[in-house]
Amino acid sequence: MARIRIAFSKEDPVRWLSHLDTQKAFERALRRAQIPLSYSEGFNPHPKISFASALAVGVVSLGEYVDVEVSQEIEGAEVVKSLQTAMPEGFRIIEATLVPSGQKALMALVNRAQYRIKAPLLKVLDEKTVQDAVVNALSLTNWQVEREGKKGTVIKDIRSGVYELKSSIIENHLLLEMLVQTGSEGNVRPEEVLSIVVQQESLPVNVDRLRILRLGLFVTKGDQLLTPIEVLKAL
Amino acid sequence: MNQEQISQILEDELLNKVTKPTRYTGGEYNQVKKDWSTVNTTMAFAFPDVYEVGMSHLGLRILYHLINDQENMLMERVFAPWIDMEEELRKREIPLFSLESRRPLKDFDVIGFTLQYEMSYSNILNMLDLADIPLWSYDRTDEHPLIIAGGPCAVNPEPLADFLDLVILGEGEESLPKLLEAIGNFKQAQGWRRDSQRDSRKALLRELAQLPGIYVPSLYQPHYNDSGHFVSIERIDSTVPAQVSKQVVADLDKAYFPTKSMVPFMGVVHDRIMLEVLRGCSRACRFCQAGSIYRPVRERSMETLKKQAEELIQQTGYDEIALTSLSTADYSCVEPLLKDLLQSHEEKRVGVSLPSLRVDAFSVDLAKEVQKVRKTGLTFAPEAGTQRLRDVINKGVTEEDLMETIEKAFQGGWHTIKLYFMMGLPTEEEEDLEGIARLAEQVAYVGSDIFRSKGIRKAVKVTVSVSSFVPKPQTPFQWEPQDRMALLEEKQQFLKKRIRDRRITYNWHDSKVSFIEAVMAKGDRNLGKVLYKAWENGAKFDGWTEHFRFERWQEAFQAEDIDPEYYAYRKIEYDEPLPWEHLNYGVSRSYLVKEHKKAIESELTDDCRHNKCSACGVCSSLGISVDLRGGDHGQNSDRL
Repeated sequence: MARIRIAFSKEDPVRWLSHLDTQKAFERALRRAQIPLSYSEGFNPHPKISFASALAVGVVSLGEYVDVEVSQEIEGAEVVKSLQTAMPEGFRIIEATLVPSGQKALMALVNRAQYRIKAPLLKVLDEKTVQDAVVNALSLTNWQVEREGKKGTVIKDIRSGVYELKSSIIENHLLLEMLVQTGSEGNVRPEEVLSIVVQQESLPVNVDRLRILRLGLFVTKGDQLLTPIEVLKAL
Repeated sequence: MNQEQISQILEDELLNKVTKPTRYTGGEYNQVKKDWSTVNTTMAFAFPDVYEVGMSHLGLRILYHLINDQENMLMERVFAPWIDMEEELRKREIPLFSLESRRPLKDFDVIGFTLQYEMSYSNILNMLDLADIPLWSYDRTDEHPLIIAGGPCAVNPEPLADFLDLVILGEGEESLPKLLEAIGNFKQAQGWRRDSQRDSRKALLRELAQLPGIYVPSLYQPHYNDSGHFVSIERIDSTVPAQVSKQVVADLDKAYFPTKSMVPFMGVVHDRIMLEVLRGCSRACRFCQAGSIYRPVRERSMETLKKQAEELIQQTGYDEIALTSLSTADYSCVEPLLKDLLQSHEEKRVGVSLPSLRVDAFSVDLAKEVQKVRKTGLTFAPEAGTQRLRDVINKGVTEEDLMETIEKAFQGGWHTIKLYFMMGLPTEEEEDLEGIARLAEQVAYVGSDIFRSKGIRKAVKVTVSVSSFVPKPQTPFQWEPQDRMALLEEKQQFLKKRIRDRRITYNWHDSKVSFIEAVMAKGDRNLGKVLYKAWENGAKFDGWTEHFRFERWQEAFQAEDIDPEYYAYRKIEYDEPLPWEHLNYGVSRSYLVKEHKKAIESELTDDCRHNKCSACGVCSSLGISVDLRGGDHGQNSDRL
């Protein structure tokens, strides 16, 4: 029994897979790759696979992570090689490494996400206006956003979950890059951050054509940001 | 709009807006994306229902890989877009596109619709319209693809005849590659689709009509009497074949079967490996169209199936194999195959499932093999409530069979039993309906008794689903009328009142849907305009309860001054001409008449697999034979 941590990207066309679809896609690819999976006991044995964090449908990610329990030890490089050919187009296996026993579950570990969001501008804007909007937004102590919950709409303050925010304009698109909270402490969604910034100066952006990119998932260690794989290497 | 523009809008705007975007993205593992410049003929397989239904269809899987394995042709897929996607496409004037290359359907040489059920016909029209292709075949020119169809409803394609350029009769793996090759050759020789000045479409269709199994409706002229009733259908001249015969695979064991099968991302209806163990069924149930049109029975060998299963597991990563066919318990090697598959793939936790069970103890034994731990429900189809009526339909099941089966199932640990019945069968009396209720109650009592004696505290659950009989072409009941809607509803209510037991859940089908199904199933070419009108009135996804609106059809019949009852409720005389009799499915008219007469006399007909030939005519007229792969078949006859 051993655990393997795999870093992967999720690009076109698989960015449209739901979290459940992604889980199934991995399960089947691991089986095709003949990786010796370890199964749960019980009526309906399932391979033990757990992802760091669910990714919203349509979002491209360059840094996703999954832990897979295997029935015998296997080299990370070998996993990368055999799994890559078994994955559907759009998933790239970046790295894989054995997880020493006693390590925390991925989901409990990851607490930061870095995003880039790109929105088409409906009018030409200068960088200054956009930067003002960001500065204004950051000066506020309360960022109220509406979320659809099971019991209807709830209002939530997300300001404390935003750690870094930068803006720029490229080819008539507004670009925001941010570091936000994720995981068990709570999730901040990049489109929520965009909506707050846009509100400040009534920026003319087309919110129907957003492109969101998750640059990576991280673990805070002191004032350092480590990827879930770097965490293992730092041990 | 070209493929790049379509792709751009799809990625930037549409996929974000619609539910289940992977219905439209393509990119599944084992999808085949071929370079258009390397092939002569391009075809889109069009499934007139939503993705998750279409991807569960084995025929699509077989033909997709078969065609893409040929050097000179390619096949891509398209499904009916769901309501939300259709709205977005229409709003932005985006033509319907294929999943693989995202090209508009208009770019293809051939668009092939599969005719799985009558209630999907309106979706065919809707998809053509979304593709910006003229619906009526005579409005199409060389700039448009050929619109073709095949599948079970091709047995009577007449209601669709004016929308289709040609129809493939029988098993597509025989005829489709030859058809596409002929189209490719014609394209190269005659410049079809490249020279917009010429209209060579008619010449092409005349040429294709010479191929075996290819029916070109425009080359056949129906005639009607003064009241507009069908009288005859004749070829327009003597160069056209007088009759078209279905094509079948003679040796199923050697037939193509894909093992690099696609793996959908989203959950589809049948989300598992589909391993086809045999084709055809000769149990000769008299209502069953599949039993007629897929004759004769042909099996695959154990060796072939084991090899295919192995490859499929490796190529797909699925953890379940369904052994599919019309009746898998009838496969002569089913037991050893099951044991072998379970054993060989145990380490990979691959399960096996049997989608169709007979009403007998043997089937429960098989189910025990495959559902060792997780015992979900078992489903059986006695079809009728009394022995007399079961004999009429030639369903070789006795009450003792059923009770023994049920007992075994409850003893084996199952607690949910589903029973399928039909109402409105020929000669049905109140007593037969009463029989349905009585059987269901008996099943529930047997279950409760067994549970009590074993000290099991779980409640017994019996689900009774009663559909309405729809007479179908090429069956012994093709001459029979359907029960009137009001009568069917009365019968449904009778059963609803009659079934009071809280352990029993009773379901029935909308009689309005069954009525339209009956009209279309036995319809003639005159119904094309009704279908068109119904589509204009908004008909689509008619097979989905939430989208079916009877008024759309009623208004269409009225507008076209066509009496639907003539098609559904009329008892047809043996000497009356039938709109589908120029299409030869091998089963002879005299056999069907004989079977119909036997039905009225409650006389049984044996399964020709294990007993004497019932002289249906398939083997002699198509030059093939029953092909079983097990040992001594005589031994099985007591299982009937």
